[in-house]
Amino acid sequence: MTPAQHEGASPPQSLGAAMLKYAGLLLLAALPLALLWNNSSWVGILATAYLFAALAAAWNIIGGFGGQFSLGHGVFFAIGAYTVARFYLDLGVTPWLGIFPAAALATIVALLISWPTFRLRGPFFAIATMAINEACFALANYSDAITGGPRGILIPFRAGLSNMIFIERWKYALLMFAFMAIVVLITVWLRRARLGHYLMAIRADEDAASAAGIDVLKAKLQGMALSAFLTGIGGGLFAMYIRVLDPPSLFTLPDIGVKFALIALIGGIGTIIGPVIGALLIVPLENFLRGWLGGDIPGGHLIILGAILVIASLFLKRGVVGALIAANRRVRGRR
Amino acid sequence: METFFNILLSGILLGGIYSLVSIGLNLIFGVVRIVNFAQGELVMLAMYATFFCFAKFGIGPYFAVFLVAPLMFLLGLAVQRLVLQPLQNEPMMQVFATFGLLILFENSVLAITRGEGYSLAGTYSRAVIDVFGLKASVSRVIVFLAATGIALALMLFLQRTMAGKAIRAVIQDRQSARLMGINVSRTYLLTFALGTALAGVAGALLAPIYTLSPYIGGNFILAAFAVVVLGGLGSVPGAYIGGLMVGLMESFAGYYVDPALKQAIWFIIFVVVLVVRPSGLMGQAGAEEVGLREQN
Amino acid sequence: MTSFLRVEQASRRFAGLLAVDSVSFAMNRGEILSLIGPNGAGKTTLFNLISGQLKPTTGAIILREDLINNLPPHARAQRGIGRTFQIAKPLIGLTARENVMVGAFLRHAGHDAAYAAAAGVLAEVGLEARAEVPAGELTLSERRRLEVARALALEPELILLDEVMAGLNATEITQVIELIHRLNARGMTFLVIEHNLKVVRAFSQRVIVLDHGAKIAEGTAADVLSDPQVVRAYLGKKHGAHA
Repeated sequence: MTPAQHEGASPPQSLGAAMLKYAGLLLLAALPLALLWNNSSWVGILATAYLFAALAAAWNIIGGFGGQFSLGHGVFFAIGAYTVARFYLDLGVTPWLGIFPAAALATIVALLISWPTFRLRGPFFAIATMAINEACFALANYSDAITGGPRGILIPFRAGLSNMIFIERWKYALLMFAFMAIVVLITVWLRRARLGHYLMAIRADEDAASAAGIDVLKAKLQGMALSAFLTGIGGGLFAMYIRVLDPPSLFTLPDIGVKFALIALIGGIGTIIGPVIGALLIVPLENFLRGWLGGDIPGGHLIILGAILVIASLFLKRGVVGALIAANRRVRGRR
Repeated sequence: METFFNILLSGILLGGIYSLVSIGLNLIFGVVRIVNFAQGELVMLAMYATFFCFAKFGIGPYFAVFLVAPLMFLLGLAVQRLVLQPLQNEPMMQVFATFGLLILFENSVLAITRGEGYSLAGTYSRAVIDVFGLKASVSRVIVFLAATGIALALMLFLQRTMAGKAIRAVIQDRQSARLMGINVSRTYLLTFALGTALAGVAGALLAPIYTLSPYIGGNFILAAFAVVVLGGLGSVPGAYIGGLMVGLMESFAGYYVDPALKQAIWFIIFVVVLVVRPSGLMGQAGAEEVGLREQN
Repeated sequence: MTSFLRVEQASRRFAGLLAVDSVSFAMNRGEILSLIGPNGAGKTTLFNLISGQLKPTTGAIILREDLINNLPPHARAQRGIGRTFQIAKPLIGLTARENVMVGAFLRHAGHDAAYAAAAGVLAEVGLEARAEVPAGELTLSERRRLEVARALALEPELILLDEVMAGLNATEITQVIELIHRLNARGMTFLVIEHNLKVVRAFSQRVIVLDHGAKIAEGTAADVLSDPQVVRAYLGKKHGAHA
């Protein structure tokens, strides 16, 4: 009797079916764009939301599934942004191609940084990655030649598909949406694949994981590589969207590095669609707060975000998606 | 040669600052095993509170410290009880929560002060003293002496008093401590509040030295983490010596290599300590094995 | 005949404490060997030396004539050593099925193959009805079985069971003994730490006794359990062996 024919054993859902299910959810996420494509300011918010959803989903690979709380993803983001910008400005390489060396470079740096720091357990890993972020912030301010120093890099506006520069904002939003969809579908694959299971095992219990045949360091590095690669691409897209790159806008933790994690938290750490929901909640909220408070109360929107972080970590640990799943199980009763 | 001694002195005094800031953090790490990303902000809050005492009531920082430290102690009790105790067994959520507090404190102060830079410096830091023929600012020497004094006092406290012994027991083995009848929760509360009060002392004494900014906490937190990793968790002498070493390293690197690269120094310290001696100079458990799974 | 597993003069020291003291024994393929001894005798430490969580301070661990002292745990799992932990370590955040798949992925690279293999193991240990339950919600007995299942999914040749019966009721114990016999009939080798001496008598072909880290007896269950030195170690001078 082959194992799969055991009575009561449910056959596995195929990868295709899983992808279709999430493609459906992603289309729902596209709905706001479809409805509001005319409204430039909303479209701008959506573009940013989709991008940050993708970045949060990328962070989620190593932070959520893998349980390795990285505060250093801003570094990979920045490397992606600066590299695409430089390739475009200095070498005339279209960003559509430039994102690949950018992502590769981000990945290499990620591996170099991670190899010593993955020895650290738990929050010490977070601290070390925070130190890296700050160190790179200083380096970026310092190396005028590559990053333009404190003043940064300005990418002149020259519209064109091959430049990845668009007049209409909805085209950017579409681009970001596509990127988000790709990252989410990659997570769908990952969740089922060996690496995904290994990362989750590592998050749960590293000793049990290694007794189960998992080379923990190797799996962490693989997860980090994938995460950094995707984050680097995101940085490149950001560069062509914002077209002004300076160290503060890339390395400030509450705006970038911690934001990815915050979005994943609100949406649901370690879930697939969580980052999307988190971004669609947080990005518009932040925008609104900035408008409402920003002028009168400097830093006002961040006070609220800080409070959200504290409250979410106490009461919404599993994020919106996690809370929904838990409620669903309670309603259905234990199986 | 005189330059060398100047750098040496400046490194030692900087080390005193780092020691003072880190002693509280180290205790918290060692006992409660909680990463407190907001520790630097606690120092910052104390600095502003000290400035407030001076600006509003004319109380100098060296007196204000006796007001500020107890207030910070109370703040510490609140934070531990309301935010950290519920998150005892969830290291990732602790990072989120304390980072959230960091953002909250930083921006609250920003909002209240509207980004105006305040400074006590004028009134206090002009005083200069002669140390072995070199010039050193009085306020920095005071910080160094305070750090040394506090380190000694804390060591005595841990060795000689019941509360101190309870703390040391929990550092070593919280399960056994619990079995011995030590109220571990109360020890956590006390230790965190104590660590916060120490941050308060640091803030008060540092107010004359730095120009106040809501973002100054960020400066301290990374250096403090480097000190804790280097010195070893839960070791007061480790924090003291670690602080001096980090100060010296930063001072020398700043002069001979480049001042802009000091953040890189902290990261390098992490990596090197990790590879060479994970438990730090004097710690009982290292950054490597502080398996936060055993946090209950 | 070359032995399957050989432990030669293995010792493990922790600062002042000699937890395992020059222990030597050998196992052949298909054996069921029980490791018994009072609390603190060093049994779990010996397990850790064999499965790789700890390295011996001196001595050798030899698997199929290869010295494996320096192999990390995951490499030893790859070579065919599976183990359970005394306090079960279910992988929280994953369902029972996913827990077992983690083990299965060692031998099957793709999702569907691992899924199928895991389904088989789940059926083997009787957890197939609870496959979709999150590991954190399983009962103690189910967690024990999950531990075993995850180790089985590695398709090991040697499996180390650390007090797998503790806390189980009589029915559950019988089920586990049946499982062990079933797997043993297919050629799996077992090294079992057990406190329940009745169980030890029921399935062990050979028994080794540790006390204060040293091996004090080796032989069949009957021989060993009537050895006065063993009785003394367990129960003190006044009592006779009972189980």
